[in-house]
Amino acid sequence: MARIVIIEDTEKIREELKTFLIRYGYEVAAPTNFEDIIKDTLKEEPDLILLDINLPVFDGYYICREIRKNSDVPIIVVTSRDSEMDELMSMNLGADDFITKPYNTQILMARIETILRRVNGSSIRDTIVYNDLEFNLSNGSVKYKGKIAELTKNEIKILSCLYKNKGKIVSRDDLMDFMWNEDVFVDDNNLSVNVTRLRKKLEGLGMKKNIETRRGLGYILP
Amino acid sequence: MSMKEYLKDRTIFLLINFILFTVICGIMLLINISTSIIFLIFFIWFFPIFTYITIEFTKQKILYNELNSIMDNLDKKYLLAEIMKEPDHIEGKLLYDLLRQANKEMHEHVKNYRDRENEYREYIETWVHEIKTPIASTRLIIENNQNHITRNIKDEIKKIEEYIEQVLYYSRSNNVSKDYLIKEVSLADLVRSVIKRNSRDFISKGITIDIEGVEGTVYSDAKWLEFILNQLIGNATKYNRERDGRVTIDSVRNENNIILTIEDNGIGILDKDINRVFEKGFTGENGRKFGESTGIGLYLCKKLADQLGLGLVLESDAGEGTKVSIIFPLGGINLMC
Repeated sequence: MARIVIIEDTEKIREELKTFLIRYGYEVAAPTNFEDIIKDTLKEEPDLILLDINLPVFDGYYICREIRKNSDVPIIVVTSRDSEMDELMSMNLGADDFITKPYNTQILMARIETILRRVNGSSIRDTIVYNDLEFNLSNGSVKYKGKIAELTKNEIKILSCLYKNKGKIVSRDDLMDFMWNEDVFVDDNNLSVNVTRLRKKLEGLGMKKNIETRRGLGYILP
Repeated sequence: MSMKEYLKDRTIFLLINFILFTVICGIMLLINISTSIIFLIFFIWFFPIFTYITIEFTKQKILYNELNSIMDNLDKKYLLAEIMKEPDHIEGKLLYDLLRQANKEMHEHVKNYRDRENEYREYIETWVHEIKTPIASTRLIIENNQNHITRNIKDEIKKIEEYIEQVLYYSRSNNVSKDYLIKEVSLADLVRSVIKRNSRDFISKGITIDIEGVEGTVYSDAKWLEFILNQLIGNATKYNRERDGRVTIDSVRNENNIILTIEDNGIGILDKDINRVFEKGFTGENGRKFGESTGIGLYLCKKLADQLGLGLVLESDAGEGTKVSIIFPLGGINLMC
């Protein structure tokens, strides 16, 4: 799994961010000694660095420049300075992305995933398998025991959200949140219609046991 | 300044001379001095006086005409004393020195206030950046401990963030040049990102959003635009109806402008309030009904829009909905490709 180094001096943020990223399956290191921060960071051989700007000893810009001298590791600058100048500075010093605090964690995750995917190129999983169902993310089709069905954009999002949380109930609100974060601005009725259609498609393929509705709670892919 | 006014100013001096001359003239007539001599004396007496008055008048007139024309052409009128030439006569010199002194004092006085304002602004900026750190950690804590309590806290945190952003833009709104970067902005991207920021409000109130018609790019400052749009969309969701709420965002390209409209079918604004919505601190009937209204949001939007050179127009029918249009003029700084 990808290894992320967090360079952040605020203890709370460092620890919570660490917990958060670990929960999403990343290996995380968060050095606390800022005297040798550059050496320490490179020693961790990270796949990605989350870098704050306001730091003790050296500021983030300096660290960014120094790391770039030795390594091409992707760097995301995370800072509460939100002026365009700061963004420009970071990019000029070789940072790959720039996010302002307080960030939306979903957006942070999305950016991390995008950058890692770009760097690791080939390792994108474009097919996920659930029981006997093959779900092809790149062309949006599902295959079940030889039969194929095409999914719409909304259905793809719904299925991938339920798949990510398989075995857990996803509330309608959470599902909506997920979809809105992915630029699909569905309303309540639309969501029901989409889920129903998706379920019909899966049933049409012969997959009897698929998305279940838990009244008052949400949906689940068991 | 006319000759008449100038002479009027010297009435007493002239009057005394005339009275004295009349008295002497009377005495001379009594002792039988011939009229030609009296005329000669009149001439000798008054010719220098009038010559002097005429020369002085011309001098003064030239000085004040020059000052007036400088004043008329001057953008910042208070700089008069810096620009005017030092006059070569004593009265003018005295006035010039006094003006310069007063000016200098005034500059120091103004500088004092400017420094104070800048200091305050800098403090606000620092404060805003500092408070973002605890907010960021609060958000992470919420994210790591998700339940309905933290979800409620998350909603409140979002409100706190909006108020903080308002403070930041309020303090920046008086000094646009510092944090201002014009670049190409895609309207669709902008609208999407603001809607995402407000997604909780749309979802929890069940408001439908339609942004299919938004397209095109404009040249402006993305951050400021986002702030304005966030306020407007925030209003559209806040003052919406209980059910079947709908917000439609659309863009129209005209010959010399692009108009971005945000339209809702919410409670609308009363006719008596509509002309005052951009006033600072004005909350109106809706503010009284809904509470949580500061009367700053739209005021700031208007102010920032003015500084960005954008038009901001609000139309509304009470009970029917509200439509706000942001007008991006084509050409100048908002030139479109």
